Amino acid sequence: MSELNKDDLFTIDLSDDSESEHIAAPQYSYWRSVFRKFFSSKLAIFMMILSGIVILLAIFQPMISGYDPNVTPNINRPEMKYIRPNATYWFGTDDVGNSLFDAVWKGTATSLFVSFMATAITTVLGVAVGMWWGFSKRVDTVMIEVYNIVSNIPATLIAMILVYAIGGGVWQIIFALSVTSWVSTAYFIRVQVMIIRDREYNLASRCLGTPTWKIITHNILPYLISVIMTSVSRDVPSFISYEVFLSFIGVGLGQQYASLGRMIQQYSPYMTSTPYLFWIPVAISALISVSLYIVGQTLADASDPRTHMI
Amino acid sequence: MSVNNEKEVLLDVKHLEVTFSNSKKHVFKAVKDANFQIYKGETFALVGESGSGKTTIARAIIRLNDTSDGEILFRGKKINGKLSKEDKKWVQRNIQMIFQDPAASLNERATIDYCISEGLYNFHLYTDEADRQKKVDLALDSVGLLPEHKSRYPHEFSGGQRQRVGIARAMIMEPEFIIADEPISALDVSIRAQVLNLMNKFKEERGLTYMFIAHDLSVVRYFADRIAVIHNGRIVEVAPSNELFHFPIHPYTRSLLQAVPMPDPEIEKAKELKPYDQEKENKADETGSLQEIKPGHFIFMAENEREEYEAIVKEMEKTAK
Repeated sequence: MSELNKDDLFTIDLSDDSESEHIAAPQYSYWRSVFRKFFSSKLAIFMMILSGIVILLAIFQPMISGYDPNVTPNINRPEMKYIRPNATYWFGTDDVGNSLFDAVWKGTATSLFVSFMATAITTVLGVAVGMWWGFSKRVDTVMIEVYNIVSNIPATLIAMILVYAIGGGVWQIIFALSVTSWVSTAYFIRVQVMIIRDREYNLASRCLGTPTWKIITHNILPYLISVIMTSVSRDVPSFISYEVFLSFIGVGLGQQYASLGRMIQQYSPYMTSTPYLFWIPVAISALISVSLYIVGQTLADASDPRTHMI
Repeated sequence: MSVNNEKEVLLDVKHLEVTFSNSKKHVFKAVKDANFQIYKGETFALVGESGSGKTTIARAIIRLNDTSDGEILFRGKKINGKLSKEDKKWVQRNIQMIFQDPAASLNERATIDYCISEGLYNFHLYTDEADRQKKVDLALDSVGLLPEHKSRYPHEFSGGQRQRVGIARAMIMEPEFIIADEPISALDVSIRAQVLNLMNKFKEERGLTYMFIAHDLSVVRYFADRIAVIHNGRIVEVAPSNELFHFPIHPYTRSLLQAVPMPDPEIEKAKELKPYDQEKENKADETGSLQEIKPGHFIFMAENEREEYEAIVKEMEKTAK
């Protein structure tokens, strides 16, 4: 056996204990991680740019063109009607001789406005009521019955009756779309709240004397960001399609409004003769729905911290 | 309580009953007629198998579970049932809890700074922002963590570090009484001693009283002054720690002690395990009560079982001599 060298032996580590407590990993920041994750998806970046362009065009193009569906200067000039898309009229002209390019963006603006407003109302009301619903047993007994009734009546029926009763204005449509939709969002949030309400860290907060509203804002809501994002990214395209659908079956916005749905409905007889009149609004509607949905879903995924691990 | 008359009772649990029900027909009694006292400055352990009602008693004391019968007195004041807002705050200030699973008991979306300051915010236990920062730094230092950890999130810590955050969060409230609900059962064996030593350090420094819930008897022997054994929601034996390990009287306690593995393969192989079966042992269930059989040593029994137990005690004392 060879003689043990002194260097081979273990020596007592005299370094400070606190050194072992040091965390070497870089600082974690929630929102920075969300953006890093989001921008790591090339498809999401592309879709975001696409939907950004569409939204900007919908906001600013009507301001420049000043398009109004009720102003029809070329209605008696047949040579201005049904011009196929060309360098002057990018999307061609419609049956009354107006530029379809102007009409489409005005219609997109209306559709987007309706959809965003309805989503905002649905989400804010749904999350607020859902939180309360998940925490209070008394609210639960009432709300579960409301949910049972509302979810058993077709939403289309309610929207149709409401539009007939209160008229087809933009705000009336927003009201008709969101009057019942928040109930299902609230139910969705209620289930999520019930899942995490009794987890140990919430009991710990209770022991530390944290009031319920603070538990909701500090312990529950941060956990639901990705769930709420998912719901928003589903609602925006579905309200766009819903508005299109309502207008298409003729109970949506009235003649005096330009909207994608109304245009699709109005031009569906022209599908064979002048197909661009029908297909361009359809394409724009699909483009908005798909791009916003993909952006929303990627953002929802990115806002779930479980995806932040490198 | 002849032996402990001179000690000050901090927490007195009298005929505590906790029931859970999902309708009027299905009522489950999780805790039945629990009686025990915890003296100031001691570590009182509650030992029993899973589902025996240990955590339910702890949660009833800290007001997370409603009680259906009985009284819990803290410093002579009733703290269960309906309380005024001030009294609730008084309970929250003076009784704190250390939770079992450090991974589940910290808010994953909040920084350590917020986790530890939560109680300070709720009770405004600081004069200004600088004072709060100082208190958090001190609390972190007292559990061996660094001020730089304040901006970190719970998932970045190891299990032992997280449990120390949980301890710091409870300690910053400067409570008098701490309920530790299996604080080390979710931890790695190598860091259990670290957490237990930390708890002992606080006990000495601040004169704390602990109620320690565990199912690991070897830990309890090291840590506790008195032990209560609970089975099926009923406390079957209460005795000082040494006494219980040397003279386990109730058959359930004996099976429980027997289940502790011996660090000797020969003894372990030769050991004949006797699982406790309430039906077979024919021990008192509804009719009995907790009675003193030796000074400071209580057994749950019916009146007619007293002689039988006294015989066991005599037998044990004889063999001990």
